Amino acid sequence: MTLATQTGKLPVERRGVFSKKLSGILEPYLYVSPALVLIIAVMLMPLILGLSYAFRDIRILNPFSGGFVGMAHFQTLMSDQAFLGALANTAWWTFGSLVFQFGLGLILALLLNRAFLGRGLIQALVFLPWAVPTFLSGLNWAWMFNPVVGPLPHWMTSLGLMAEPYNILSDPDLAMWGPIIANIWFGIPFFAITMLAALQSIPKELYEAASIDGATTRQQFISITLPFLAPTIAITLMLRTIWIANFADLIVVMTKGGPADSTQIVASYIFTQAFRRLDFGYASAIAAVLLVLLLAYALSVIALRRAMTHSDN
Amino acid sequence: MASIEIANARKSYGAVDVLHGIDLDISDGEFIVLVGPSGCGKSTLLRMIAGLEDITSGDISIAGNVVNDLQPKDRDIAMVFQSYALYPHMSVAENMSYALTLRKTAKEKIADAITNVADILGLSALLERRPKALSGGQRQRVAMGRAIVRKPQAFLFDEPLSNLDARLREQMRTEIRKLHRRLGATSVYVTHDQIEAMTMADRIVAMHDGIIQQVGSPVEIYDHPANIFVASFIGSPAMNFLEGTYETKDDNGADGAGIRLSDGSLVAVLPARGATNNQAVTLGARPEHITIAPDANSGLAARIDLIEPMGLSTLVHATLAGKPIKIFTMDRPDYAVDSTIHVSFDMEKVHVFDTKSELRLPPVIEPHPGHRD
Ligand SMILES: Nc1ncnc2c1ncn2[C@@H]1O[C@H](COP(=O)(O)OP(=O)(O)OP(=O)(O)O)[C@@H](O)[C@H]1O
Ligand SMILES: [Mg+2]
Repeated sequence: MTLATQTGKLPVERRGVFSKKLSGILEPYLYVSPALVLIIAVMLMPLILGLSYAFRDIRILNPFSGGFVGMAHFQTLMSDQAFLGALANTAWWTFGSLVFQFGLGLILALLLNRAFLGRGLIQALVFLPWAVPTFLSGLNWAWMFNPVVGPLPHWMTSLGLMAEPYNILSDPDLAMWGPIIANIWFGIPFFAITMLAALQSIPKELYEAASIDGATTRQQFISITLPFLAPTIAITLMLRTIWIANFADLIVVMTKGGPADSTQIVASYIFTQAFRRLDFGYASAIAAVLLVLLLAYALSVIALRRAMTHSDN
Repeated sequence: MASIEIANARKSYGAVDVLHGIDLDISDGEFIVLVGPSGCGKSTLLRMIAGLEDITSGDISIAGNVVNDLQPKDRDIAMVFQSYALYPHMSVAENMSYALTLRKTAKEKIADAITNVADILGLSALLERRPKALSGGQRQRVAMGRAIVRKPQAFLFDEPLSNLDARLREQMRTEIRKLHRRLGATSVYVTHDQIEAMTMADRIVAMHDGIIQQVGSPVEIYDHPANIFVASFIGSPAMNFLEGTYETKDDNGADGAGIRLSDGSLVAVLPARGATNNQAVTLGARPEHITIAPDANSGLAARIDLIEPMGLSTLVHATLAGKPIKIFTMDRPDYAVDSTIHVSFDMEKVHVFDTKSELRLPPVIEPHPGHRD
């Protein structure tokens, strides 16, 4: 036995310290390499490929296209009024939807967190808008705003909000509110459910202790509920901002970006460039700009959050 | 400081009755311990006093005022929870000052109160920490501090020590008692640990199934349990129970009293009030009231099952008349398992319970005039 282990050991020693060190460094990477390869193939490759289109002239209907054009697409973008309009619309669309989705979702979650008869049923129903395919809800809302088939214009006229029933989706000044309202309806469940989950993780005794300490409901909300919800609020708001900014389905279905590009957001503009004008190169350049903007947004939020939690401790 | 009166208080959750008419008067400055097995309604009663739970019927008064419809904050009580319920996003100092801040107490006054209380509880070095950076014992102290700072009329404790290890629990037990002596505040303390009840209480309230079984000082409850439940619940190791029939003549036909066990042997007892010949009774004997006879000439034969050394003392497990019994001894016995010993019962200390009603039948003449039932 002793002899066997000794002879087994010798060659390793002879191989030298350096190669031993090297294999020690490489070994862990060897183990994770299948996962790395998979991640590169599935996540990075399409991204890089897509980005590379932004620097090439790719038009489906032009057989001579495909060449490298450098920064030409980006230069065009800088003076593309439709793009700059879409950029402003994106901000409007994103924050208009987000504020109401979050506000109403939080209120709904607070209501659902109380005990009442039929709470289980209502909780299940709240999920419903989330479960409807966006394409379908887009069509649905478009019809609701249509005075010929939908009730909304008539209701608004009765309430005195409109002089006569007409379709706000065809009014360039108001059209954006159509998809935004549909988006709010669609997004409330997400916030309601995530906030409800966070609310239910707050120990009940904290509220009891606070009520004995003399805190009113509002004071309890500020000193217990909000601090508990803060991390969930921060992360869901960030995720949803990026999500909504990229979310063109409702707009494409309801207004196709019109009238007169008044509801065009960057994501729907990409869709229009790629699948209507069939200019994939230009569409990719817009997508690259959107990617950079959202990345910058995400990084700044993360930095802000880190700064806040640091000052917290 | 204030007295607390509970008059015929009931609690039901829908069709389930949890408390069946609780009557209890707690005097000013008293330390009351509610004790009972899990689910008997101790927390429910405490939470009703605190105002965290509605009172189905009956009245609860604090300092003479009926508080049934008062909010918790208007009852001027403080509560220490089993989970401590410290506000996780506030520092120790903020946790303790929260109630005072809400009351708009002057800043300097708050600072004084915090310094003072932190001093008493040894928290001065921890004031800036968050609860999550504290040990269990420290959190417990902060919870106590939060209650003390406010100088409430009464303290309510719901099993505040059950999350601590045995040594710390023992230490906190004495600290809470000392604190009580110092502050003199009326306290209601809930526990299912009968040792806590025995060591801390001015008076123990033993509860079972939503009914108060007995109220009395720890010694009263220990020496004169009202019924089989209290007798079995209080005391560790627990009391031994042997069923038999009550007899008014001893083996020689002379007048006396005894309990005939199932194996035919007779245990002499003091004549019990209201017990009749041949009545089904239960003999209750604490382990320390059974002695092992030095020889086979006296006492009842029992078979050794197990010897359990406990350091200070030894617990002998044996079988007598087909029933397991425990015997407490300060000796160091070295009996072999399955060997036979002879035991005798301390006639003046054992209890006679009516088997049917489970109530204790006290002796016609109390052996200890000092204690009355
Ligand atoms: N919200 C409720 N609905 C229905 N029954 C309840 C409710 N809260 C408590 N109970 C019941 O009331 C009884 C008493 O509960 P309580 O919490 O007062 O017990 P406890 O004596 O404090 O027990 P433990 O020592 O385990 O804390 C239990 O049987 C429990 O199941
Ligand atoms: Mg309890």
